[in-house]
Amino acid sequence: MTPVLEFLNVSRSYKKGVPVLTGVSFSLNESEIAGLLGRNAAGKTTLIHTAMGLLSPDGGAVRVFGLSPTEDPVEVKRRIGFVSEDQVLPPGSSVAELIAFHRYLFSAWDQALERQLLDRFSLPRGSRIGKLSKGQARQAALLCAVCHRPELLLLDEPAGGLDAVARREFLETSIQLSNREGTAILFSSHHMTDVERIGGRVILLDQGKVRLDRDLDRIREDICLAVVPRASAPDAAVIERTAGCLRVRPVFDDWHAVMEGTPETARRQLTDSLGIDGIRCVRVPLEDLFIELVGGER
Amino acid sequence: MYLAVNPSDELPLYRQIMRQIVEAIAGGRLKSGDRLASHRELSEQLVIAPLTVKRAYDELEALGFIETQRGRGTFVCASPPPVDRAGRLDHLRLEARKLLADAYLSGLDLGEVVKILKDADREIARGPRREKEKV
Repeated sequence: MTPVLEFLNVSRSYKKGVPVLTGVSFSLNESEIAGLLGRNAAGKTTLIHTAMGLLSPDGGAVRVFGLSPTEDPVEVKRRIGFVSEDQVLPPGSSVAELIAFHRYLFSAWDQALERQLLDRFSLPRGSRIGKLSKGQARQAALLCAVCHRPELLLLDEPAGGLDAVARREFLETSIQLSNREGTAILFSSHHMTDVERIGGRVILLDQGKVRLDRDLDRIREDICLAVVPRASAPDAAVIERTAGCLRVRPVFDDWHAVMEGTPETARRQLTDSLGIDGIRCVRVPLEDLFIELVGGER
Repeated sequence: MYLAVNPSDELPLYRQIMRQIVEAIAGGRLKSGDRLASHRELSEQLVIAPLTVKRAYDELEALGFIETQRGRGTFVCASPPPVDRAGRLDHLRLEARKLLADAYLSGLDLGEVVKILKDADREIARGPRREKEKV
C-alpha cells in the first residue's frame, strides 16, 4: 500500500548554511494519526508546508499519495485538507461565501457534512469572517478543510489560542473524519494532552531532525527517565555510552537521562555501566519526556 | 457502559480501557454476551484515536475476555478465561504479601489496608465515578 505521506531524507533551508530540516524521513499510512512535536523553530511548519508543496525540498523527496506535491500540485491539493493557527481567511467575505467558494473548488464536496458541521459549530452564515471570534474562524477553516473529505489532513497548531471546549470539538471532528473516511492526520501541537489523547503516534522534531518516532503507547511503556547523582559521572558522555540511553542533560545536582526500557531494566543498565547505586528511574508523562529530550541544561 | 480515560495518567490509554473493561466484567457490570461499543463509537465517545481502542480490544480478545463476531460486533465472552485455580491462588498470595509489605512500609496498619480493599471492591462493583474531566 502506498503511504499517504512519505518524507525521504528531506532537507530544506531558507538561508545558506542554516538548515531548517536535515535528513527528515518518516511515512504516514491511511487512518494513522500522528502528533508532530517540537519546540518553536524546530521545523514543524516548514515540514507541513513542504508536505503541501508550498515549499520544495532542497534535498530528498516528498511523496503525497505517491505523487510529488510540487509537480502535481492540483491533484495533491484536491485530496488534502489544511488548517493552521495563523491561516488568513478573507476578512471581508461572509461565512456562506467562504464555504460557497470551497464548494466550487472541490468536486468531491460533501454538502451533508457541510450542513452537519455548520449546525454543530453554530456558525453564523451571514457574518463577515473578520467579525468572527478566533474559535469561530478556526471552525470555519476546519469546515473548509474537511468537507471535500480529504485523505490527508495537515493541521499546523490548529488548537493554538482556542479554549478547552473549542479544542475538544476540533479533535472530535478530526477523529470522526479519520473514522469515517480513513483520513490520515498529521498535526503539530504544543498541547500535550491533545497529542496524548488522539495521537496514536508521536513524531518529535528537534533542530530539524526526527528525534523520536514511535507509538505513544510504546513511549509510555518503553521509555523512562533516570535521575543520576551529578557526582557519579564526570560528564554526560559517560552516561550516554550506556546501552539504551537516548539523551542526558544536567539538571541542578543531578543528571537526567532518558532511557529505553522499563524503569527496572534502565536502572540495572545504569547501575552496571556506572558501577554505582542510588539511581532512580521513573515513567514520566509525555510533556516531561518532551522537555527532557529537547530542553536545555539547567 | 461508561468509560473514562485520562490522557496524562501514567498508564497508556489502551491499558486504561482494558483495565476498566476487565474490572466491569469482574464486578458483574458486564455479563457474558453483552455487546461492547464498536471501535468507532468508543473512539468518538472518548475522543481518542480509533487505533487505541482497537489495541485495547485486540489485547482483551487475546486474553479471552471478549470476542469479535464478524459483522455483529464485539461481545463479552460466554466463558471466563480458563483459570488454573491453584496457580491463581499462589499468585494472589504473593500479590497480597507485596501489598501488605508496601502498606506497612508506608506506615499503614492491617485495618487501613482492609479499608482500602473494601473501597476498591465498591469501585469495581460500581464503576468509575462520572467526574467532569479536566481538559
